Amino acid sequence: MKGDFYNILEHLANGSVDFVIIGGFAGVVHGCTCVTEDIDICCDFSPANLLALQKSLDGLHPVHRMTPHRKKLHLTEKTCKGFKNLYLDTDIGQLDCLDSIEGVGNYQQVRQASELYEVNDVKIRVLNLDSLIKAKKAMNRPRDKEALLQLEAIKKLRTTRQKGR
Amino acid sequence: MAMKRSHKKTDENNSVQSDPVKAAIDYGIDISMLIQNLKRPPGERIRRHQIALDTTLALCKAKRI
Repeated sequence: MKGDFYNILEHLANGSVDFVIIGGFAGVVHGCTCVTEDIDICCDFSPANLLALQKSLDGLHPVHRMTPHRKKLHLTEKTCKGFKNLYLDTDIGQLDCLDSIEGVGNYQQVRQASELYEVNDVKIRVLNLDSLIKAKKAMNRPRDKEALLQLEAIKKLRTTRQKGR
Repeated sequence: MAMKRSHKKTDENNSVQSDPVKAAIDYGIDISMLIQNLKRPPGERIRRHQIALDTTLALCKAKRI
């Protein structure tokens, strides 16, 4: 099925890929009602982790979606070193991989600012709400306006709920 | 007089505290949907998002008959 995000995450987690969910899909996990058509992750761009990512997507026919001929993903220990971002399309959805996030920092800083969630027995790291808000503010894109307003409202609603307990 | 002052202070406090929620409402966001979503576990939020996305993609492909 095209667009099965949970399935992509399952592949990554089962492949022991070191990653954190960021962007719109992180917003969904936190409670946003915006619909997003891709999954953004921040990950360790070490050759070992990128090769693990490639292996985990094996069978999903990953391609570089920004290249004119949608080149197949074919990473080697050598070529891994040349990437800072990977914009991929697979049989079950788009996956964007970044090595850092504006407003938060590099992968290690992003990982520190993440929370571990368990979804259907799969453990996934998700950028925490405060850092997601910081990242959206830092990018300052008009298309993020609604998501940012939702995230800030969610933060407020969460605080209110916690106080009410 | 004292009552009036106290009432004003409460309003001010509420307006500061509820600002992000008010801003979202003013923008046209349905806060009740967010409140309902926050009651759901993350896995259920992901499942419902997938349904919304599948529906959106199906509608994009829909043909007028």
